[in-house]
Amino acid sequence: MLKELTARNNITIHGTGSKSMFLIHGYGCDQNMWRFITPQFKRDYKIILIDLVGSGKSDEDSYDYEKYSSLDGYADDVIEICDALNLKDVCIVGHSVSAMICTLAAMKRPSLFKKLIMICPSPRYINGDDYFGGFSQNDIDDLMETLDSNYLGWSSAMAPVIMGNADRPELAAELEESFCQNNPEIARHFAKVTFLGDNRSDLKKLTTDTLILQSQDDAIASMKVGRFVHDNISNSKLVILETIGHCPHLSGPDQTIDAMKEYLR
Amino acid sequence: MNYNIDYKELYHSLPSGYFCSLPNGTIVASNKKFFDLTGYTREEVIGKKKFTDFLSLGGKIYFENVYSQALKLGGTLEEINFDIVKKDGTKFPILINSVEIKDSNGLHLFTQSVAFNISQRKKYEKELLIAKRKANDLSNELIDVNKELLSRAELILNQKLQLEEFNQHLENKNRQLSSFAHIASHNLRAPVSNLLALKDFYNESTDLDAKAMLFSKVELVIDHLNETLNELIESVKIQGNKDITHDPIIFDCVFDKTREILDNQIFDSKAIVTSNFSEVPNIEYPKLYIESIMLNLLSNSIRYRSPDRIANIHFCTEMNNNEITLIARDNGLGIDLQKHGHKLFGLSNTFHNHPDSKGVGLYMTKTQIEAIGGSIAVESEVDKGTTFTIALKKIAGA
Repeated sequence: MLKELTARNNITIHGTGSKSMFLIHGYGCDQNMWRFITPQFKRDYKIILIDLVGSGKSDEDSYDYEKYSSLDGYADDVIEICDALNLKDVCIVGHSVSAMICTLAAMKRPSLFKKLIMICPSPRYINGDDYFGGFSQNDIDDLMETLDSNYLGWSSAMAPVIMGNADRPELAAELEESFCQNNPEIARHFAKVTFLGDNRSDLKKLTTDTLILQSQDDAIASMKVGRFVHDNISNSKLVILETIGHCPHLSGPDQTIDAMKEYLR
Repeated sequence: MNYNIDYKELYHSLPSGYFCSLPNGTIVASNKKFFDLTGYTREEVIGKKKFTDFLSLGGKIYFENVYSQALKLGGTLEEINFDIVKKDGTKFPILINSVEIKDSNGLHLFTQSVAFNISQRKKYEKELLIAKRKANDLSNELIDVNKELLSRAELILNQKLQLEEFNQHLENKNRQLSSFAHIASHNLRAPVSNLLALKDFYNESTDLDAKAMLFSKVELVIDHLNETLNELIESVKIQGNKDITHDPIIFDCVFDKTREILDNQIFDSKAIVTSNFSEVPNIEYPKLYIESIMLNLLSNSIRYRSPDRIANIHFCTEMNNNEITLIARDNGLGIDLQKHGHKLFGLSNTFHNHPDSKGVGLYMTKTQIEAIGGSIAVESEVDKGTTFTIALKKIAGA
């Protein structure tokens, strides 16, 4: 069972700590996005990293369009993996859309998760009446076009992104040759599920102790959205990072790590 | 060699747009081409704008989620397609290559990017993409239709096989019925003809001894007739059976019976009828059929004898490749096989203008033989004679 799950989700385990930290990447990338974060927690935590089915090096053949037409499909996978690894009191970290995946998982099995960290979350990207998600349906269509034009629909792999120079002290020994390689058809489908989804009603049902890390200047999940999430999760804390962009774990890893450590103390 | 290169001049006259931005995205340097591409002035851009300011919202999502993460992880990124929104609101597609510039400690200082217009290429791409999608859809359709056709073909094949089986069954039944009908009429014909002839002889005869002899012959034929009738009645009873029952047959017995039935014809024609069944004396075969076959062949040989010579008719059996074979040979009129060969075993075909030839016999004979799984072949020469070779039945192993 665990063997199949490991292959299906490209599960990698790092660290020697006794506590469990499970990090889930967001849209557009894979577990590599946690590269600058995980080294800082290896000592105190057993770190579990996965690629969501359809992303990174996960098993493409396992991508069931019906199952993953809602984020529940991914949430079920997360719980399945936690059970297979016999995890308890998990600290689960989700970036962007995966913050919602974590929410759904915690709602299904509240006893499994002790803490939930959301990095730049958004429960819904499309504006509604009274709700500012940041985007219109047209914008999402535009995104779809950009996705198409970058994958061209020709090949099923993005041109490999070659690692630059090797003098990065934070990085582990082996160098990856390609990051964030995703099947274009699946990327398209996942984008639809992510950016056309609406999980606002799920926020109120979340009881887990939650930290929301909001990037100061984020065009994708703006400050308004961050506050909305905070207001709707009863047991939550909102911390604003002085970072720019939607990926503070990459553009401002130090600040992200500090905020996380502070919360987990 | 000194080429007097003015790098600043070259930088600004680069045929592609160049810009340099800080880690937070602010553009701190760009060349003339870049300003031309975006439609903004130096004052509007430098220190004021980020690259994302030139993107649509959809493009921004892509930038934040895919582009920036990949660039951060890899340090360099190439061939990314964005749509640039110019100052006047118009859009056009570009390809962008970016690289992160770091100091000796690995600290990210700048990001350098080059961008150029790919409007023409994009148009071509779009057309190709549409064509590809259409082709995919068509291909899927064809696959579906093909599947449908294959399953229908399979269905039809099954039905065909069933029909063939049924047809075979019907043919068998038909053959059985047909041969029964012919046996009935034909087998009864000869003995009755004999009785009629004997009756005439009897009436004309005045001699009491002759009369007594004739009457004993009549008794014989009546017995044969009765037997034949009983067999026919029996076979009617078992018509419902799928397979015809095979009886233990002694060739000599059947042939003798046949000779008795045709006694008159043999006498009249002065034919010499011989037989030799020593090689294969017995067979398991439907009694009705073997009698009918022998009767038919013998009566034919007598009927179609040559007027120029004494009729010599010989019947024998052989074993050929584990097959019991009956051979009927005569020296009669013969058949022009070139002319009539293909019609020989057909129904209602006659090859001689002979008063007694009704043309039913050989058809019936062939039907009977084949119904048991055998075959009949003929060799013949006009005015020389005819030989019928009948493979009656295969014997399992030797």
